[in-house]
Amino acid sequence: MCSVLIADKYGAFFDLARQHRVIFYYVGYFSQNIIAAMAEAVKLQLEVAGVAGPTRRKLFSSFVEMAQNIIHYSSDSLTPGRQENNELRHGSVCIRQECDGSFLLLCANPVEPHIAEDLRCKLEALREMTFDEIKQAYRQTLREETPQGSKGAGIGLLTVARDAREPLEFDFDVTDGVGQPPVFYLKAAI
Amino acid sequence: MDNLYIAPTPSTPEVDFKFDLHTLSLRGESYPENAAAFYGGVIGPLKDYLAQLDGGKVEVNIALAYFNSSSTKMLFNLIDVLNAAVEAGNQVALHWFHDEEDDTILEFGQELSEDFPAITFSSHSVRPG
Repeated sequence: MCSVLIADKYGAFFDLARQHRVIFYYVGYFSQNIIAAMAEAVKLQLEVAGVAGPTRRKLFSSFVEMAQNIIHYSSDSLTPGRQENNELRHGSVCIRQECDGSFLLLCANPVEPHIAEDLRCKLEALREMTFDEIKQAYRQTLREETPQGSKGAGIGLLTVARDAREPLEFDFDVTDGVGQPPVFYLKAAI
Repeated sequence: MDNLYIAPTPSTPEVDFKFDLHTLSLRGESYPENAAAFYGGVIGPLKDYLAQLDGGKVEVNIALAYFNSSSTKMLFNLIDVLNAAVEAGNQVALHWFHDEEDDTILEFGQELSEDFPAITFSSHSVRPG
């Protein structure tokens, strides 16, 4: 009898995930080991689903960049700010399939206001660029010195933008309350 | 000097630098949490090895199925170090392996060969599996 109750009570949640064609969703703390395990899960899932090789690679790459951005920049951290390895930071990441068969990658994590400003500048500039300009900026950034304070060599977002079908979309949610850091959302269509 | 061997993990490649045989290989996937720290530990010994070479011949094999953005940057630095060794009078042959369907890794290899023409570059397409 219990199983009927569970289906009644929580079935809607699983149905919703099915309706939204959620292929992968995780919310919680991110560590390098957790990312490696998720990467394995995502790789397997996309392979089994018969996703074409080039699309699979783009999804996998964007997924890793987003997950590592959470490790590097989420303001919800269990490890001290100065620590540069074995970090644990909170966020969420989601892969879902659109009706036309293409994919959406979404991630969310709180960020400090100064990081939010930096992200806004970078993403607004990226959204104005053509595909060729993105490739050009990528090449240039690769040959420059790593910017101060950047843990991802400053080319993580360029890498995601290069693999996306459309300009990256982003948002900052400040409704969590006064004094709470804004939640950064990033969306990539692959 | 001692050879450098680092066993692979799911997110770091196997580093097999046989300095005594002048054969240096990187294989696997590369998306460490801190690419600068990981590759710092590779580029350091590589520089020491190259510094003592005089008219040497080095074979480098890079067969990475995936590398993230910060690893890309570090690979660029690593190839830059190899290029400096060529300018110092050594020969470096770089074998660049890419999955036949992976245009990103193919193109990055082409870029490296254009940026560092002194290195003898050959690209190898590999079937997935």
